[in-house]
Amino acid sequence: MLTYAVTALNGLAYGLLLFVLAAGLTLIFGVMDILNLAHGAFYLFGAYLAYLLSIGGLLELAAAVAAGIAFGALAGVALTAAMRPLTGHGHLAQALATIGIAFLAADVYVTAAGGAPLPADPPTALAGSITLGGHSGLGYPVYRLGFIAVAAVVALGLHLTVTRSRYGVMLRATVADRQMAAATGIHTGWVQAVAMAAGGALAVGAGVLGAPLLGPAPGVDTTVLVLSLIVVVIGGTGSIPGTLGAALLVGQVQTVGVLAAPTFAPFALFVVLLAVLIVRQSASTRSARVVPA
Amino acid sequence: MTPSTLVKQSAGTVALQAASRGRAFRSTVAVTAAIAIVLGALGLPAVVDAYTISIATTALILATLAMSTQIVTGLAGLPSLGQAAYLGVGAYTAALLANTGLTLGPALLAAAAVAGAAAAAVTAPLVLRTRGTTFLMVTFAVGELARTAASQAVTVTGGDDGIHVPPVTWWPGGAPLRADGYLYLYVLGCFGVLAAAVALLLRTRLALVLRGAADHEMRLGALGHRVGAALTAGWVIAGALAGAAGALFVAAHRYLSPADLGLDASALALLAAAIGLGSMRGAVAGAVLVVAARDLIGAETGGHALAVLGLVFLLVAYRQPVTRRLRSLVGHLEHRLAGIVAGGRR
Repeated sequence: MLTYAVTALNGLAYGLLLFVLAAGLTLIFGVMDILNLAHGAFYLFGAYLAYLLSIGGLLELAAAVAAGIAFGALAGVALTAAMRPLTGHGHLAQALATIGIAFLAADVYVTAAGGAPLPADPPTALAGSITLGGHSGLGYPVYRLGFIAVAAVVALGLHLTVTRSRYGVMLRATVADRQMAAATGIHTGWVQAVAMAAGGALAVGAGVLGAPLLGPAPGVDTTVLVLSLIVVVIGGTGSIPGTLGAALLVGQVQTVGVLAAPTFAPFALFVVLLAVLIVRQSASTRSARVVPA
Repeated sequence: MTPSTLVKQSAGTVALQAASRGRAFRSTVAVTAAIAIVLGALGLPAVVDAYTISIATTALILATLAMSTQIVTGLAGLPSLGQAAYLGVGAYTAALLANTGLTLGPALLAAAAVAGAAAAAVTAPLVLRTRGTTFLMVTFAVGELARTAASQAVTVTGGDDGIHVPPVTWWPGGAPLRADGYLYLYVLGCFGVLAAAVALLLRTRLALVLRGAADHEMRLGALGHRVGAALTAGWVIAGALAGAAGALFVAAHRYLSPADLGLDASALALLAAAIGLGSMRGAVAGAVLVVAARDLIGAETGGHALAVLGLVFLLVAYRQPVTRRLRSLVGHLEHRLAGIVAGGRR
């Protein structure tokens, strides 16, 4: 039973990691209508950054996080510039371009860091573990608990920014109808650039902080990309609480589900995806029927 | 009838005759080119070394997967990033059957196609519920979930260690196909059959409905076409084709692991389809180009085949905007040049 509790806690950490990633993905998708298939490469960049910079101290970790956010923001803005010529050429061109970026990044990573997984240890101050569930309990890494706390703060901050802040209002207006928003005097180009920078920063930042959970190795980019895509599809694009709920669900399926029934966990995700799409479609057709009549 | 209309008519007839002569000439060229390509493909083992032949086999398998992708992407207008999942279903079907002793190649091909079609039919309700970018996301998810399932079902698939597959035979009791040249000819023969089937499919009413669905799905539905059924049929046919590609894959490599049905295979098939700009012949040519870029050019770069492929992806993605920019630039220059020439004359 305790094993399951610990696994569920792992699932919470994993789910929150996916949330930070998927929030970046849904931000980029919502504001620019770009499916960023290089998002996993962004994460992996952060993870390699953590391996390079975060060597034992809390200060180094802070430096790695700052560098990750800066590089991520830069990558987000660069992606905006790279995608601008492709607007109006369909989603296929965008998908091909972002896959191309992901392939190039994967080549650079393998060239620079080799094909083997690299260790990314948490800072020594957070490296220990605390005992959960009394004397007979299992040790749980402090870093993971810290990660859960930080990610929860990020989730709350994002939600408040989108729903309460002035920027959030402008962002929602831009996502809903860009031309109308521009007509009311919102500088939509600026809103988009900030959102893209934030999306990139979330992905690379998730890589830096998540490296001790899901470390730098070839292939990790595809793993996190597909899981965050599933989160975005389940959670519905552009909704922070929806993304959070979906990420926590996928986190549990990927940890507790794999522990309980290893062979069926992939199918479980598939079934969840199908169920959500069916429910959402019937809801949307119902609401669509109300309008014309 | 006045003389002037008569003249106009005869001019029209002459133009028509010239056009039909031009068409006849063009079709002669096309037939000659097709014969040359077929003869070249058949004679390839006599000309090049074993390594190049194995690359050609790989190209044919990717071409089959690219045709499957093109049915969905080019015909029905839905960009799929998960066709390798059905290749995987077909490949594991063929591999497991071959390991039970059934090594007859054509039987394995048929079984793999049926398995691929069945897997596509099962996933159709999920996948075809979505359009556009969500379709891309969901097909990608299906592909990756299939890969994960294959690597976790260790008792069936051997997990990430993969499984070895005995060589297939042309006919019952025939010699096992091991030599690269014979394997290539086997894959080429199967590819020919599958390509002919696809060519027939393109002449059916279904292909027309799929094309119409890509252009304007709602209008087609309003006209009384059963768009959902047509899309399902197209998706299942594409799944069968991908499954058949899986049987060819295990016949050629005699080994299969979950890595073979990952994102890379799906993405390369989509790239080949995109190079082909919606045409089936283009997708096949695209697959040959992609494999050549990876295995011939990429091999020269000392392990940077991924980077070469990444550049090909970017080139294909930016082809349209870049050519448009170039064309407008050329037009602008011509305009300026004409202005200068006219100014000089004055």
